[in-house]
Amino acid sequence: MKRQIPLLLVLVFGIFMIFQYFVPHESSEWIYEFFLDWIYIIGIFALALGIWSLIRVSYDKIKYKKPNWQYAVITLAGLFAMILFGFDYGRHFFSAEGLSNYMFRAFFDYILIPIQATMFSLLAFFIASAAYRAFRARSLLATLLLVSALVVMLRFNPYFGPIGPYLEQTASWLLNVPNLAAKRAIIIGIGLGMVATALKVILGIERAYLGKD
Amino acid sequence: MKFKMLLALILLCFVSAVSGFGQSAEEIMALPDSMAMAPPAPPSNVRGVDTDNDHGHSITLTWETSPDDGAGLNNVIGYKVFRAESPDGPFIERALIPSGGTGHIDVGAKEKDANDYLPDHVGFYYKVRAITADSLIYAESEVFGPVQSYGQWFNTGRVPVLVFVIFFLFVTLFFIQKAKGGANLFVRRLAGIEAVDEAIGRATEMGKPILYVLGLGTAADIATIASYTILGRVAKKVAEYQTGLIVPCYDPIVMTVAQETVKASYMDAGRPDAYYEDMVYFVTQSQFAYVAAVNGTMLRERPATNIYMGKFYAESLILAETGALAGSIQISGTDEIAQIPFFVVACDYTLIGEELYAASAYLGREPLLLGSLKAQDYAKAAAIIIAIIGFITMNFGIEAFKHLFYVSN
Amino acid sequence: MSRTMIILLALVAIVFAVSWAAKSASLDDQYDDYISRGFLITLAAFLTLSILSFLYKDNPFYKFAEHLFVGVSAAYWMSLGFWSTIVGNLIPRLSVTLSAFFKVPHIEDEYALYILPDKVSYFIPVVLGILLLMRLSKKAGWISSWPLAFIVGTTAGLNLVRYLRSDFIEQVSSTFVPLLVDWQGTGRFFSDFNLYAYGQFVTMLGNWVIFIGVLCGLVYFFFSKEHKGIFGGASRVGIWVLMITFGASFGYTVMGRISLLVGRLTFLFHDWLELIG
Repeated sequence: MKRQIPLLLVLVFGIFMIFQYFVPHESSEWIYEFFLDWIYIIGIFALALGIWSLIRVSYDKIKYKKPNWQYAVITLAGLFAMILFGFDYGRHFFSAEGLSNYMFRAFFDYILIPIQATMFSLLAFFIASAAYRAFRARSLLATLLLVSALVVMLRFNPYFGPIGPYLEQTASWLLNVPNLAAKRAIIIGIGLGMVATALKVILGIERAYLGKD
Repeated sequence: MKFKMLLALILLCFVSAVSGFGQSAEEIMALPDSMAMAPPAPPSNVRGVDTDNDHGHSITLTWETSPDDGAGLNNVIGYKVFRAESPDGPFIERALIPSGGTGHIDVGAKEKDANDYLPDHVGFYYKVRAITADSLIYAESEVFGPVQSYGQWFNTGRVPVLVFVIFFLFVTLFFIQKAKGGANLFVRRLAGIEAVDEAIGRATEMGKPILYVLGLGTAADIATIASYTILGRVAKKVAEYQTGLIVPCYDPIVMTVAQETVKASYMDAGRPDAYYEDMVYFVTQSQFAYVAAVNGTMLRERPATNIYMGKFYAESLILAETGALAGSIQISGTDEIAQIPFFVVACDYTLIGEELYAASAYLGREPLLLGSLKAQDYAKAAAIIIAIIGFITMNFGIEAFKHLFYVSN
Repeated sequence: MSRTMIILLALVAIVFAVSWAAKSASLDDQYDDYISRGFLITLAAFLTLSILSFLYKDNPFYKFAEHLFVGVSAAYWMSLGFWSTIVGNLIPRLSVTLSAFFKVPHIEDEYALYILPDKVSYFIPVVLGILLLMRLSKKAGWISSWPLAFIVGTTAGLNLVRYLRSDFIEQVSSTFVPLLVDWQGTGRFFSDFNLYAYGQFVTMLGNWVIFIGVLCGLVYFFFSKEHKGIFGGASRVGIWVLMITFGASFGYTVMGRISLLVGRLTFLFHDWLELIG
């Protein structure tokens, strides 16, 4: 029973959504929109589970003095401070104006944004080290990848003299033609994989996501 | 301050007045011409029907152009479409169509309180006005109506999708039946999948954990669902070998599902005692904060193997390079095409696109999953055959075949 | 804590303090809150450098920035989700009292849904959400799989048709390309070898490569057939095309990634140190 109901729910809602796609009528559209809203709302409840997990893991680290437990204190401090500001303890207690709280904004602008942008910018270094890794590889496939990467990377390089324009042309051809072919093949494959997986889920063949009772 | 604003206001009035005078002056100048211009013949045969295959709130109009559009007096510059709830009006303008136009789809909002709400099951009257350069000279068609809009219960434009859904369902069910009946379904080698077992063995030897990253997908993404299955298999092996498992999550629902999956796998492996909830934990729902934390974990816990399966975005390379620099064996799989190159470069094994979806069948070797893999292959064969037929028909100038695959909105 | 660590921390603290003072001084004439602004900009610079220090190796500064980032970002998304989704969208539709409490205008039943009245239909996700929270209970945890089943079922059905259309039908049918372009004589045919140009030869070559590339790529993804003989050849061509493509998109991304770093360096040298204009 515990096992059957979720599988039945998956089957019913899955089939409903497939039918819904072919029914343009307004009522089908409303239900579709409601369902998307519901998923969103359930997601927020789930976020509470997430935050709870974060708090518990950090708390355990501190309690059992696991390695680097001191940093868990910082996580919790940042978390609670930001929640407090978000709910704006004080003037606008419990109103959406918490989001415009001075400290909430400051934490966002001067902690979140700089770290986020810097993490993102690490990509510049990592793409260089990845290119180096590709350079060392000794196989036909790796060489193909490297050569085409080089052609595209150097396409605007002014130091190639007469072969410069050819490089540029080849690069743009690579990006327009084989790229399109390969992407299309991958997309068709992905589409089929998704359809097959979704079908397996709806039919209850794929049930790993439900765990076991 | 107020004085300045007042001054600006006066100036503005003055300027607009002058330009207004200018316009009327032009009109006066133009008057003799337009007086000479005869009104065009009106557009004829205005017809309206409910727009097909939609949710309602829309009426499709057609008409025949005025004889003076592009010929005759040649003074029609466009058509205005008017709508009213009674044949006597009041008519409101709904659209302006350039000359030569013979139709318009009058789409209204479905929300009752919206400005251009177009109710269903209400009779509307339409007329079309042929307009000229002179706003005073025009000709109107006869009023057509009443016409009602309503929603349909089946979108015939989507029939090709329905055909493929049914085809796919049957092929899948057929091969599942066949596989259940004991038919031996061959599956080729997939290096990335074979590496999973090897990698778990290595982790056990080294006494180090395995890091499994489900990506940034939501629980709704099919790639994430495929990833749960792979996680289930990995967790089972990990439980059997008694290796550690770390699963940091980005999405709380994904975390919940992953916890269930891992728990079930540990039970399956007969080691429920070895399972603890915090193997699978939530980090944060912020892309780069998540990456920062996973990177830290890689350098501190030094996992022997990192497995990335699911949806990945810009963080793919940050994760995979950090893992590579930390010396872990890395296996990845994603359906996010833009990220596949980075995984290919930085990981030891990469499941490309569809291979991610096939992986669960490989790891499970259950007839049901293998059957659906076979169905996938048949659909691919169908794709190839369709592409070839399409190519032949296109090259012989037959467009009809291509139209079979046209899906309307 | 080792001696070097203490010295390093002290040094960083001094640099931080000096930067704070200097930054505040330079902002003095622009803002009223120059002291806190000076602090925040210095903090942002400190965090930026802490994250960058990761490239050398894992260290306490990185750990600090990372853990702070995790906590703050988790709370940020939670606050945002709570105020925009729960308070912004759900509560106004749910109850008058709660709307008044959260000072949001109540929304009456805006849609006449055929099956359920509006209020009921918004109580359902709340109930499902609460069922999900039942996970925290050992006894009733199993019931949390119901909302999961709802989400997974709904999206599986939705994605099945959506991707069948966009990733399969539309992609296959756009492979129908003319492989023979109208013949206009040998002269015209071989006239333009510029790969940019849409000369006959180049267009045809492109169409052929796309057509064969797609077919070979699909063959590569066959799982239930041994890749041998012609089939193996096609599959090999398929993986070549894939690899060339991966290389090209890798190369294409490089410049974009470098500009991200330039952005951060601009922050450090312009906004913080004011060394460049």
